Amino acid sequence: MTKHIHLGKLVLGRRKVLKLAGGASLVLAAPAYWRKLSAQEKTIVVRDPGGPYTKGFGEAFYEPFTKATGIKAVGVAGQHEPTSLIKGMVDTKSYTWDMALLSRSAHDQLISEGDYLEKLNVTSKHIETLPAVHKAPAYLGNDVFAAILAYREDAFKGKAAPKGWKDFWNVKDFPGRRSLRKHPFDTIEEALLADGVAPKNVYPCDIPRAFKSLDKVKKDIAVWWTGGAQTSQLLKTGEVDMCPTWNGRAQAAIDEGAPVKIIWDQMVWSSEGWCIIKGTPKADMCREFVKFAVDPQAQAAWTKHVAYGPTHPEAYKFIPAERAKVLPTHPDNFKNDVEVDNVYWGKHKDKVTEQLNAWLLA
Amino acid sequence: MTAAAASAFARPRRSWGRFLPLLPVLVFLGFLFLYPVGQLLWLSVVEKGSGDLTAAHYARLLAVPVYSKVLLITFETSAWCTLFCVLGGYPVAYLLATTGDKWRNNLMLLVLLPFWTSFLVRTFAWIVLLGRNGAINKWLQALGITDAPLGLIYNFAGVMVGMTHALMPLAIISMVSVMENIDANLPRAASTLGARGGQAFFRIYFPLSLPGVAAGGLLTFITAIGFFITPALLGGRQQIMITQVIIEQVQDLMNWSFGGAVSMLLLVSALFVFWLYDRALGMSTLAGGSPASQVGDRGTWLSRGFAWVGDLATAAIGRACDLAAVAWETVFPQRPDKPPVKIARGVLWATALSVVAFLAVPTFFIIPVSFTTEGFIQWPPKFFSWRWYDTVFESPTWIAAIVRSLTVATLSAGVAMLIGTPAAFFLSRQSMIGKTAMLGVILSPLIIPRIIIAVALFYFYAKLGLIGTNLGLILGHAVLAVPYVVVTVMAVLKNYDERLDQAASSLGANRWRTLWHVTFPLIRAGLIAAFIFAFVTSLDELTIALFVSGGLVTTLPKQMWDDALLKVSPTLAAVSTLLLIFVTFMILAAEYLRRRAVHK
Repeated sequence: MTKHIHLGKLVLGRRKVLKLAGGASLVLAAPAYWRKLSAQEKTIVVRDPGGPYTKGFGEAFYEPFTKATGIKAVGVAGQHEPTSLIKGMVDTKSYTWDMALLSRSAHDQLISEGDYLEKLNVTSKHIETLPAVHKAPAYLGNDVFAAILAYREDAFKGKAAPKGWKDFWNVKDFPGRRSLRKHPFDTIEEALLADGVAPKNVYPCDIPRAFKSLDKVKKDIAVWWTGGAQTSQLLKTGEVDMCPTWNGRAQAAIDEGAPVKIIWDQMVWSSEGWCIIKGTPKADMCREFVKFAVDPQAQAAWTKHVAYGPTHPEAYKFIPAERAKVLPTHPDNFKNDVEVDNVYWGKHKDKVTEQLNAWLLA
Repeated sequence: MTAAAASAFARPRRSWGRFLPLLPVLVFLGFLFLYPVGQLLWLSVVEKGSGDLTAAHYARLLAVPVYSKVLLITFETSAWCTLFCVLGGYPVAYLLATTGDKWRNNLMLLVLLPFWTSFLVRTFAWIVLLGRNGAINKWLQALGITDAPLGLIYNFAGVMVGMTHALMPLAIISMVSVMENIDANLPRAASTLGARGGQAFFRIYFPLSLPGVAAGGLLTFITAIGFFITPALLGGRQQIMITQVIIEQVQDLMNWSFGGAVSMLLLVSALFVFWLYDRALGMSTLAGGSPASQVGDRGTWLSRGFAWVGDLATAAIGRACDLAAVAWETVFPQRPDKPPVKIARGVLWATALSVVAFLAVPTFFIIPVSFTTEGFIQWPPKFFSWRWYDTVFESPTWIAAIVRSLTVATLSAGVAMLIGTPAAFFLSRQSMIGKTAMLGVILSPLIIPRIIIAVALFYFYAKLGLIGTNLGLILGHAVLAVPYVVVTVMAVLKNYDERLDQAASSLGANRWRTLWHVTFPLIRAGLIAAFIFAFVTSLDELTIALFVSGGLVTTLPKQMWDDALLKVSPTLAAVSTLLLIFVTFMILAAEYLRRRAVHK
C-alpha cells in the first residue's frame, strides 16, 4: 500500500504548505503598487523598453526631471510594441501608464486605428531645432535605431568582406552562413536594395520584385531569426557570418569583444519617441516631461547605455567621439540611408506578412 | 473490474445537487474565461465600425491557404512532440513507479529539472549546445566522428528537441501518478498464473497504465499547440506556429477581428482532434466508465474497434516477448548456480537513464555558464566570476520578482486545485450528458492563445478594478492551471478502487472524513502532480502577467524577458540556478521532514 504515495513523498507536508501560504499572503498584502503610484498627485508612469534602457533613462531623464520639477517619473518596462495594451487602457480608462516611449510604427498605428494618443502641443527651443522628420502632433522622436548588415570579421579574414546588401545577396563571391529576419519589415527593403533599387525609391515597395530577389537567397539562409536578442547571440557565437540586425544588438556583441563589424551604408532606420496616452489625467505633467526630455544633453547622457542615435543633432556635442562613432545618427554613418515609411507599412503590413509566410512555407 | 463493480454499486442520484462539484469550475471559467474571451472572439463576426454581422474574416481564413497550412504544421509538430514525449517518457515513468525509494526520489528531481528553468533560458541552452560552434558539434569534431558541424538546430529536429525537452516532464509525471496506483500484485498474480515478464507487462500492467498515457498525451498535445517561442528560436524557415500568427494579428496589426477568427479556427480544430481522441481512445478511459478493453456494449464502434485492436496488439506483443525470452533461454540456458540475468530490467534502466540525461543536460550546462566572466550565454564558459549573482542580489527588482512569482505560482496553483479537484471527481465518477463537451470547455483555456486571454482579461479586469493587482494575476494564472488539475486528477481517479471509500463509509466515516483520510492520501501522487503543473504554468507565464500588471508588478518571466532585450546575459543563468537550488532544497527538506515524521 505504501507504494501508492511514491510521488507524494516528494512533497511538502500539509502544515508546511499552510505556513508558506501565510508568509506568502504577507507579501501579497503589500498592496497593488501602481494604485499607490497613480493615486499620488505628482507622479507619472512612463513605459520604456526596459533592460538597458531602464538604467540609461533613469540617469538621463527620470531622476533629473524629478529634481527639476518635483514630479516623480517612474519608468516601467512594457512588452515590445504595446499597441493592444494602450488601446485597452484608453478604451477602459485604466491608465496603468501615463505616457510611453513608442516606436514610430506603433505611434502611427495608434493614430490610424483610432484616437489613442494625446496631441503633444509643446514647444521649446530644443523642440524647435529638432529635425522635422522626428516631429508629429502626438510624437517627438528620442532615438534612431537602424537595421544594418553586421558580419563576422574572422569569417572574411584574407578575403574581400561584404560591403552592403548586394554582397549579402551575392552568395558566390561572398560565401558564408547567412541569417535573415523572419518578418517583412526590413527584409523586404533589404531585398529591394540588394536588387539595385535606390534608397530613395524603396517606397512604395515593389513587392513582387522583393520576393523575386528573396528567391535568389532562399536556400542559402541558414537561420531565420525572430527576435533581436537572438541576433546578438548568432553574431557572438559565430553561428552565422552575416546577419542583418539592429545596430544596438550588433553593438551588444561588439561590446563583449566579438569581431563583428557594422555596415552603415544603406541602413534602414526608424525612431522611437515620446507619446502621451489619450485621456490620462496626468497629460499636462507628461507634457512637462516631454519638454524636459527633448534636450541634447539628456539625449547624450543615455547613449552610453544603449547604442541608438540621439534625434537632436546637438547631442553629439556632449558625446565622447569613441561612442559617437557607433551611433546611427552620427554624420559619418547617417547617409545614403532609408527611412522606414510607416504609413506605407500601416497599409500593407497585413497583406505582405501573409505573402511572406506563404513564401516561407512554399 | 473494480470500476465496473463500483459503478454498479453507486446508484445514480437524480437531484441537481449532484452537480454541485461542477459549480466552482463553471462559475470560475464562466466569469474569467468564457465571458471575456467570448466577447473578444465575437469581434470576429462583426464588422468594425458598423457592428453588422459579417463572415468576411472567416472567408479570408478559408480563401488564403497559408492559415490552414500553418494550422496543419502546428498540429503535426504537436503530434510528433507528443509521440516523443510519451514514448520516451513511458520507460522513465515505469522505472519511477517500480523502483526503490532512494533511486526514485533522485530520479524524480532530475525529471523535474526542466520545469525550474525558464523557457527562455532552456531554449538558449539548446541554441548554445546544438549550434554550429556549440558544445555537441565541437565534441563530435574533436572525437573525429564528423568533419563538419552538423545542422542540429534551425530545422524540424531542433524544434523537436526543444519542445520534447520542455514537455516530457509533463507526460512523465502524468503517467507516474497513474502508475503508482497500479497494484503491484496484479502483474505478480499474472506471473503466478504462468505469464512471463512480457505477457504480465503488456496484458496487465500496460492496459492499467493507459489512463496515464491518455492524460499525459492529451496535456502534452494541447500545451504543444500553444508553443511559439521555442519553434521560432530553434526552427527553420518552415516552422511557423499558429499562435505566432495570432499574436501578429492581435499585437502588431491590431486586427483583433481576424486574430479572433484564426483563434476560432484553432479552437474548433483542436476540439475536433480532442473529440476524435475521445472517440478512439475513449477519454472515457479518463472520464469514468471503464478501460477501453471493457467498454463492450457501451462504447462507440470506433472505441470498440480500437479496444479490439488494442487487446490483440498487447496480447501479440506480450506473446512475442515471451517467445523471445523462451528462445533466449534455449540458446543460453539458465544455470542454476547463477542468479538469473535480468535483461529486460537492464534495458529499461539504460533507456530511462538516457532519457533522464536528455532532460537534465541543459540544466547542468546552465550552472557553469552562470559563473562565466563573459556577457553572453556561451560554451565553453570562461571562469570564474560571481558577477551575475551580484547583479541579482544587488537588484531589488530581481529579488522582488522571484519572491512574487513563487508566491503567485503557489496561490494560483492552490486556487486551481480547489476549483479543479471537485470537478475532476465529478467527471470521473458521475455520468452526465455532454461530458466530452464539458471536458472540451475545461480544456479550452489551454487551446486559446494566451494573448487572446490576456486582452480579454484586461477589459474584464478594468471593470472590476483588478488591473495591477496580485489577485488579478493569481486568478488569471489559475484559468490556465485548472485544465491541468482536472485532467491529472481524473487520470489518477481512473484506477482508484471506489470500494475503499465504501468500506470507509460502512465503517462510519462521513463523506469528508473519507475524502481526507482515505481518498486524498491514496491519490496524493496525482494531487501533487496537478499542483506542480499548476505551479509551473504560473511560474513561466509572461503574456497575461504583462497585460494584467502593465509592467508595474514584476514577475520572474517578465524580468527575464526585460533583461534579454539586447542579448541573453548569464544573469538569466544565475537566476535559473538560484531557482533550481531553492526548489530542490524545498523538495529535499520536505522529504527529510516527512521521513522524520514517519520514524517517530
